[in-house]
Amino acid sequence: MSQHTLELRKLIAEALPGLDVVLAWTSGFSPMTSTPLFIATDEDLDRLDFGPMHVQNLAAYLPSLKGRKVGIVTRGCDSRTIIELLQENLINRDEITIFGISCTGAINIRKVREAVGGEKLRSVETGKDIVSVTTDEGTHTVPLHNVLMDKCYSCQSQTPLIHDHMVTERTGCHLTGEAPESSLDRLDAMEPAARFAFWEESMDRCIRCYACRNACPLCVCKDSCVAQSRDPHWLDQSDTPREKLMFQAIHALHTAGRCTECGECERACPMGIPVLAMKQALNRRIKHLFDYQAGMDEESTPPLFMFRQQEEHIKERDAR
Amino acid sequence: MPVLEGKELRIVGFLCNWCSYGGADTAGVGRFAQPTDLRVIKLPCTGRVNPLFVVRAFLNGADGVLVSGCHPGDCHYTAGNFYARRRLEVLRELLDVMGIQPERFHYTWVSASEGQKWKQVVSDFTARIHELGPATSFSSCAAVAVETGMKTAI
Amino acid sequence: MSTVRFLKARDIAPWLEELSRDRTVLAPAQHGGTIVFCEFDPARGVELSQLSTTPAKRALLPPCETLFEYETTKTLEPPYKTHVELRPTLPQGKAVVFGARPCDARAMQIFDRVYNGEQVKDPYYTARRNNATIVTLACSEQDDTCFCDRVGGSPVDATGSDVLLTPLKAGYVAEALTPKGEELLQSTSFMKAEGLRQEALNARNRILEHVPERSSFLDMERNLLSLFGDLGFWDKTAEACLSCGACTYLCPTCYCFNITDETRGESGRRIRTWDNCMSSQFTLEGSGHNPRPTKAHRMRNRIGHKFSYYPQLHDKTLACVGCGRCVSNCPVSFDIRNAVACAIQQADAAREHAHD
Repeated sequence: MSQHTLELRKLIAEALPGLDVVLAWTSGFSPMTSTPLFIATDEDLDRLDFGPMHVQNLAAYLPSLKGRKVGIVTRGCDSRTIIELLQENLINRDEITIFGISCTGAINIRKVREAVGGEKLRSVETGKDIVSVTTDEGTHTVPLHNVLMDKCYSCQSQTPLIHDHMVTERTGCHLTGEAPESSLDRLDAMEPAARFAFWEESMDRCIRCYACRNACPLCVCKDSCVAQSRDPHWLDQSDTPREKLMFQAIHALHTAGRCTECGECERACPMGIPVLAMKQALNRRIKHLFDYQAGMDEESTPPLFMFRQQEEHIKERDAR
Repeated sequence: MPVLEGKELRIVGFLCNWCSYGGADTAGVGRFAQPTDLRVIKLPCTGRVNPLFVVRAFLNGADGVLVSGCHPGDCHYTAGNFYARRRLEVLRELLDVMGIQPERFHYTWVSASEGQKWKQVVSDFTARIHELGPATSFSSCAAVAVETGMKTAI
Repeated sequence: MSTVRFLKARDIAPWLEELSRDRTVLAPAQHGGTIVFCEFDPARGVELSQLSTTPAKRALLPPCETLFEYETTKTLEPPYKTHVELRPTLPQGKAVVFGARPCDARAMQIFDRVYNGEQVKDPYYTARRNNATIVTLACSEQDDTCFCDRVGGSPVDATGSDVLLTPLKAGYVAEALTPKGEELLQSTSFMKAEGLRQEALNARNRILEHVPERSSFLDMERNLLSLFGDLGFWDKTAEACLSCGACTYLCPTCYCFNITDETRGESGRRIRTWDNCMSSQFTLEGSGHNPRPTKAHRMRNRIGHKFSYYPQLHDKTLACVGCGRCVSNCPVSFDIRNAVACAIQQADAAREHAHD
């Protein structure tokens, strides 16, 4: 077990008696997967693990645990989610204890599969800057840089922006070169008609499971989501690209100015649809219009919750 | 009313009750001639425009969508159009990334006395939409996703 | 003796194209980076190397189907009445499901007991069922998330199939198991192969030899019922669950549905769509009361249904075929095998405790 995991366990063990639960990770059904771990006892704590394969954004559970004393293991990207939730008063600062850990990148298992040409994965080991992938055909060595989650390439901070305790044993940058082409890059390069066809095709395989919505830390309406509401009747229940694309538009606009690009929506999608691209496009626009990024400053107000009489980057509209 | 085949395109307009609807009324009273493609939906204020109305209109087959309200600073409800301005500017990017040509959506400010301006806005926007032609629609083979496995009786 | 033929791998696409002329063909294909069951498209081809992400169940239970269409008109006499015209939309035409796995094919029997049983026959389901031919591909090996052997199945199980394909050399040995299967194998795309019957059987036996020895999940009713009141156990089991619907919609045996009327103006259609018991609204009643308000309740129901309630009603048949899709696609890697194993342990511990 690595030094940082040991240190993390020690920090949590000390704080655990004063907390109802601590959110962390443990290995899933195979070493290539991870599952959120809800630590309430020392027995639970023994199962804690942390590494590049541990990818879930644990902050997604915080709004439903409001009112309880919760500890949470937090990376840089996760901390932005926590700050955004604080900005919107969806959680209380004095109820959470943040165990900060710096991150050297989270692995996108889909990219690993692509990198080995779709061969069946047997095991994945991470080394310094490389990933060793063993498949049915043999062992491949893939640069870590090529198989990170999209969000890692636009990482704002490897260490959490907010924390109560900090694990010290982490160094190193995972970004060793140019970011590979993202889905948004590909969309940017297309003509509108091609983009529309792309979404139509992607939505064709969407199964409307709402994993993207339920994995999103900011989607707190869950039970009352307009996607399933009969009155107002925003969406048909029919299984067509039209309705499913409308849902993606709803999700993107409802998180505009709030989304911290944690990437859970895209990771959770069982059909591999690049749903994060829409949110990234909106975030890019909001950065340009309002010089604002979500989840960076506890005190600021999300831009669509407010207005200015004179808008610096919005030219006054004329008749044309 | 059915769209006149080949002559009219489907353009939806969201107008605020106080300024723009009044302005459209003024244009009507003054008998200013304008194309008839635009179908108006009246709202109390552009602040009531959920940007998703625009998306829904496009996905349901609109060729163009226009939003018009009071000039910023003159909103009947003081601040509604300030919010609208922010939301609709963000919406433009969403439409673009979805593959809906950004020129098909336009928002503007027309006051109750600006009948001439309203006529100009409608004429120009309708001409622009006609130039762009009908919007891309969902292809019929993807619509078959409604019933996979067996062909239906109808 | 049933017919045995041989299908070369390169003859699959031409055969499916030939079939597509007079019937719907569903087969697994690459769609983006994912393998999905969808209508055969020659440009896309078929992808048989791995288990598809979506199951073959859409052939019998589509994600959305129209039950009937309706139109309201005002009558002239008397003028205050509205007349509603209903147009039923029963499915027509034949279908072939190509490349289902043994787990997919077994799952369809689970639907039969519900939708085509003695007391209730669903006309939409039976129309599809009677007109569908299932061509199953035996699996060469199990994935690490497969557990068909623990729920009464196997990678080479032929239950529910009309034709069983066994991978051999540069193609597949095709064995007809029903009259529908016999009809399909008459196609000229297949080569005569009587001599391969034994080889196919040997190949399947070799595959079975690799299935590990492990405990089964059959006969869980007593264990699960004894845990019904232990919400603390279900709370802990379900704590990471996001209540999305990935597991339900990817499950080959899940069959719950929702019915809604989608009206546009004067006309509309009544549609039946997949529903998801993991969603918090699944049991929400008109009064506002929800008998399954928490994740714990819903997880208890899901596992209870698959491993306890359904078997009790249907001769101990489990409503789980061990395909592992729920495990490999869950965003939080929830593992139903683990949950069931823990339930067994917990129930055993509770029984021992009761005896102290």
